[in-house]
Amino acid sequence: MAPLLELKDFHYYYGNIHSVKGINLYVNEGEMVTLIGANGAGKTTTMQTISGLTSPKGIRGEIWFDGKKISGMKGHKISAMGLAHVLEGRHVFSKLTVEENLNMGAFMRKDSKNIKSDMDGVYKRFPRLLERKTQLAGTLSGGEQQMLAIGRALMARPKMILLDEPSLGLSPLITKEVFAAIREINREDGITIFFVEQNSKIALKTAHRGYVMQTGEMVIEDTCENLMSNADVQKAYLGGE
Amino acid sequence: MNMSVYGMLLVSSLAIGSIYGLIALGYALIYKSSGLLSFTQGDILTLGAYLGLTFYSILKIPFVISLILTMACAFALGILLEKGVIRKLLNKNVGAIYVVLATIAISYIIQNGSQLVWGTIQLNFPSVFSVSNVNIFGVNVRPEALMCFIVSIALMIVLHFFMTKTRFGTSMRAASMDSMAAESLGIDVSLTTGVSWGLSAGLAAIAGMLIGPIYGVYSTLGSTIGRKGFSGAVIGGYGNMYGAMVGGLILGIVETFSASLISSTYRNLIAYALLLIFMFIKPTGLFNERAIQD
Repeated sequence: MAPLLELKDFHYYYGNIHSVKGINLYVNEGEMVTLIGANGAGKTTTMQTISGLTSPKGIRGEIWFDGKKISGMKGHKISAMGLAHVLEGRHVFSKLTVEENLNMGAFMRKDSKNIKSDMDGVYKRFPRLLERKTQLAGTLSGGEQQMLAIGRALMARPKMILLDEPSLGLSPLITKEVFAAIREINREDGITIFFVEQNSKIALKTAHRGYVMQTGEMVIEDTCENLMSNADVQKAYLGGE
Repeated sequence: MNMSVYGMLLVSSLAIGSIYGLIALGYALIYKSSGLLSFTQGDILTLGAYLGLTFYSILKIPFVISLILTMACAFALGILLEKGVIRKLLNKNVGAIYVVLATIAISYIIQNGSQLVWGTIQLNFPSVFSVSNVNIFGVNVRPEALMCFIVSIALMIVLHFFMTKTRFGTSMRAASMDSMAAESLGIDVSLTTGVSWGLSAGLAAIAGMLIGPIYGVYSTLGSTIGRKGFSGAVIGGYGNMYGAMVGGLILGIVETFSASLISSTYRNLIAYALLLIFMFIKPTGLFNERAIQD
């Protein structure tokens, strides 16, 4: 069976700057895969291009999702195919309430009956959001905003969720909580997950497989177990000897 | 002066103030959706007045239907403007100032173009009602002035519910807050932006059709009103929908009363002095919108 998401010799150019230099990667249905690497490696560019949020002019190579070539398609069309994206920095709608934010997650759905029960599902997973459902999203703490961003992505009933730096700016305790939720979403809801994370330790502990990117190139790919015992990875990303 | 004179002044200031408010509302919608300032609002008002006059007076279409037709034409024009000119320029990666300059060019094209079609002589917009005066609490009021105020307020209330209670309206607000997040959730941001420009144009055109019977219709009708609407938008808090309305009404009241109590010669001076005062003292406007300060 073909992978759910596949990048084939993918390059990205910002004008003359060659920021992603021909990477190949795939994510199978049901998998949880991580992409790690230092700042400026091209991780966010890769994620945002998958979701159609960068200018299509810079794309070379192909991106396939769910049996369809999506490279060059508009973001809202890709989203409608069942690919949700939790953006780096959370990007909640700060002047909409928590509930309105969640409703926007279900923007494309026509089955209004199920939206309510899905929202209850999100509140059950993140009880803090229920307490704050009439509050403006801009007034939430960083951790709550991250939960809201994830909950909003879930409201679309996606096949796959991309998460960009879910731990960014969060305390270790909240980071743990967020990653527990990500694991649950993958295991219980069966949603395929692909995430970028600068906290390599927690990333490799969470995912099944991992890719390591360095200045626009893919340098290593392996199971997380192997990556954790890989000497180069330990040295560069896990702070080991 | 007796009370009925004040009453008349109040009605006429609310009439012109609500027109400023409608124009200001358009500035707010465009600013929120595109982060831009469009100088076409005033001339679309003129165009709306001419279109309304054509539908109502020349083609003899009932007033309400003429109003809807005018709004629909302007709505289409607004979308066309955004998709055909603004979006194309932005895609060339030009600076925002170029786009703003382009809107000035378009405003003159509309102004001159309507001269070409409807001529340079001021046209008379026939009265909408069969009576020339209605008596409210002992004040004689032109029904057209009253209509101006009532229709404007009604439009604002409808717009408020559209933007806050409907899914599409909420998605327009979401897209204006964070276009990338909106796009990632399946919201067609290009569509919501186009609709914002369409609504702005539609509101301006309706304003033109409401003010036409009071001021008459001529090719520079909208120029001053467009600038005053801008002042109203700044007074209320540039980019804030509710501020736009309140700012417009305040400007209408201040300029009408000062023109009558001090001297009508200084009507514009007072209006623009008020704009400057707000820019210096309260740049975020009455509704504390951070657009200009940031």
